[in-house]
Amino acid sequence: MKRYIARRLMQGVVLLCMVATIVFFLGRLTGNPVDLMLPEDATPEDRAALTQTLGLDGPITEQFAIFVGKAIHGDLGTSIRMKQPAAEAFFDRLPNTLVLIPWAILLGMMLGIPLGVVAALHRGSFLDRAAGTVAVLGIAMPSFWLGILLIFVFSVELGWLPSGRMGGPTHYILPVITLGTFLVAGFMRITRSAMLEVMESEFVKLARIKGLSEGVVIWKHCLRNALIPVLTLWGVFVGNLITGAIVTETVFAWPGIGRLTYEAVIYRDFPLLQAVIILKSILILSINLGVDILYAYVDPRIRLA
Amino acid sequence: MFRHIAGVATLAVAVVVAATMPLQAQDQKGTLVFAVESLGAQTLDPILEGRPGNAVYQAVMYDSLVGFNLEKGGVGPGVAERWELSPDGLAWTFYLRPGQTFHNGDKLTAEDVKFSLERQMGPGSLASAAASMRRTIKNIEVIDDLTVKVQTTSPQIGLPAGLSRAVAPEGAVMPKAYIEKVGEEEFRKKPIGSGPWKFVRNVAGDRIEFTAVTTPHWRGRPHFKDLVLLLVPEESTRVAMVRTGEAAIASIGPETMLSASRAGLEVLSVPGTMQAIFQFWGTYKPEVKDSPIAKVRVRQALSLAIDRKQVIEHVMNGKARLPYPFATFAYTDYFSAERWEKWAAEAYRYDPVLAKKILAEEGYAGGFELKFANTALPGTQYMVDIGTAIADMWTKIGVKVTLKHYEWGSFAPMERGDQAGLVGWASMYRTAGRPDAPWRYDGAFSPESIQRLLGDKDNCQEACQDFVKTYRALLSELDKTKRTALTDHMVELAANSWTVVPILEGMGYYAVNTKKVGQFAPIAGRHELGDVFERIPRPEEKPWKK
Repeated sequence: MKRYIARRLMQGVVLLCMVATIVFFLGRLTGNPVDLMLPEDATPEDRAALTQTLGLDGPITEQFAIFVGKAIHGDLGTSIRMKQPAAEAFFDRLPNTLVLIPWAILLGMMLGIPLGVVAALHRGSFLDRAAGTVAVLGIAMPSFWLGILLIFVFSVELGWLPSGRMGGPTHYILPVITLGTFLVAGFMRITRSAMLEVMESEFVKLARIKGLSEGVVIWKHCLRNALIPVLTLWGVFVGNLITGAIVTETVFAWPGIGRLTYEAVIYRDFPLLQAVIILKSILILSINLGVDILYAYVDPRIRLA
Repeated sequence: MFRHIAGVATLAVAVVVAATMPLQAQDQKGTLVFAVESLGAQTLDPILEGRPGNAVYQAVMYDSLVGFNLEKGGVGPGVAERWELSPDGLAWTFYLRPGQTFHNGDKLTAEDVKFSLERQMGPGSLASAAASMRRTIKNIEVIDDLTVKVQTTSPQIGLPAGLSRAVAPEGAVMPKAYIEKVGEEEFRKKPIGSGPWKFVRNVAGDRIEFTAVTTPHWRGRPHFKDLVLLLVPEESTRVAMVRTGEAAIASIGPETMLSASRAGLEVLSVPGTMQAIFQFWGTYKPEVKDSPIAKVRVRQALSLAIDRKQVIEHVMNGKARLPYPFATFAYTDYFSAERWEKWAAEAYRYDPVLAKKILAEEGYAGGFELKFANTALPGTQYMVDIGTAIADMWTKIGVKVTLKHYEWGSFAPMERGDQAGLVGWASMYRTAGRPDAPWRYDGAFSPESIQRLLGDKDNCQEACQDFVKTYRALLSELDKTKRTALTDHMVELAANSWTVVPILEGMGYYAVNTKKVGQFAPIAGRHELGDVFERIPRPEEKPWKK
């Protein structure tokens, strides 16, 4: 088990180095922050001075070497726009995103899992097709559009909920629905296929032969086993939520790391963009590693492979 | 009897207390909430912020050495109530208003002005004009508490405009004693200024909160007690917030004007905030000499083919106007606005028949191929729509337009260096509204400038040389009449070259909930409301006219 964890950690470090390198060079292809910070009539002299002040005047390889040197010591640079350590800006905003995620997952599980069970039990029926439609809609519907639609209906027309911003409990409802709709679809599809597989198992047939009620067979024996693949995908969903919050947070003016990423891209804030993507990667890698370890612990075949 | 006297005395005391109470307690109430798409760097230190951010939120709490002309737009009195140029043109003396104080009660003096200008020029400053200021400002001398003299290395007629928030943020006045006492780090956390609003809280990525000063202020006494500037990047959400009353005012684009208006919101437009233009790159270069766009009349014909009224009507929803010549507005300093307005009405007319005739006379009866780079600064998506519309209009006179869309991030680097990707091309561009035309002209036409649209150091022909001569003369011309004549000549040179052609003069747009704020007027030429909030009344004070 220790060797397995060490191997996965090493893979994570290599992956992180690759991400950092790609982000550093690709980020610079999107333009120069100086173009956005100077007015149209700026002189070449002002341009050169600002480029130097921002530390963007050296060759890109030299900038990369400085970046790597600092990153090794835990310094991910200072945000060009905010003049704040980029990692600090990330951790300032991270809690705002993390408070949305559990609620979105809860919504996804509470609706998606029962829907998946119902769809599996009524395979090929109207209910199955209806649940399938929900799944397709949830995956296909852009969260940007869904968010605006929800604001229009529940804030503007009905006046029940606030349009956006972080605030009291009512402020969470629309962003959580927007984030969670994708998860409802995801949980529903996985639960359905897992249930169908489990329902064909020998132990389920045995349970029925033993005379257990259909409710006990389905909800206790089948669902408990069907939930194993569902729970392992939990980590993937959390990763998706962390990266996918950009759109939801932008639509609902929610000051989380999704919005921070958006701002870093818009303002060509290279150090901030690098830090945000690297720290997000660490977060996602950690979650995936945790899930892998848990899975390997539960199923020894995984670590032996 | 005693009870009667006591009653009268109590009443008298109550009246005296009410009369002497701070204005806030009597007149200032409620919260003004403004939703905006960007809060820039969201820092309250003026040396770390650019022009738009400064004008949106820093202006709320900082005063600028030179201010606005609130009626006409352009430059007007600020912290300095007047200023004058020395006879040799090498020194500007600014005379400050007496009785100004910072929010901690410290007096605002000439020492603060000197400190602020030096801080803007200092090594840690991100001010866009820091390098230019270092080059042009030789010395800043405090004459007395209310007089400061700025000596320059050469005549700098445009210096007051450069220190006005109508143009640039570098004139923001900061508290010397406070910054020296608490240090920069603490100042950035707990900033103080001298404006009509005091800083309360800055929540990164979300909002900035201010509260009104309770004493009278030369910029105007705020009608609201508190001011909250919300960062709401998505336009649909901003409009929804105004509709629900969560925000009173929101910045919007021309695309949203109609829907906001139909939803019962007041749509307020600020005139003269920008010009949408198209321009031709490197037309003077030897490798372009055989290209149709190297010919002045062909460029003029392309302008005649544009139906500006259609663009204004359909792309800008009618909320724009026919432009003045390049980078000039009704409020431009030392400029014959009336004369040029008449000129523009004739020159920028729609005449496709004449356009075709000119093309035929120039040997392009069958049209020609034109490469056109369509681009827009972030937040000005309508510029791409304008570009697409004019490309379509050129197609109608037989020009085969190769339209290529560029994201601003990839377009901007093409302007620099040898401009290899742009020479021989036309492109969309824009210019912001500002009262001092020469600066913008220098940035577009000087052979040493980044854009150098009339000529570069190796190819500076007649018009280019004339521009250089005129611009240099303008920099040192002290006589107002002669300065106006020189500005007019500079404008004429550019206008007759047809290398930079305005399409329309745009406006800034706001959706307003009339139940949340009373009627107010923005400042012409300034899209941002940082200098307007204190003059926005509550709805009961000045209801909107139906």
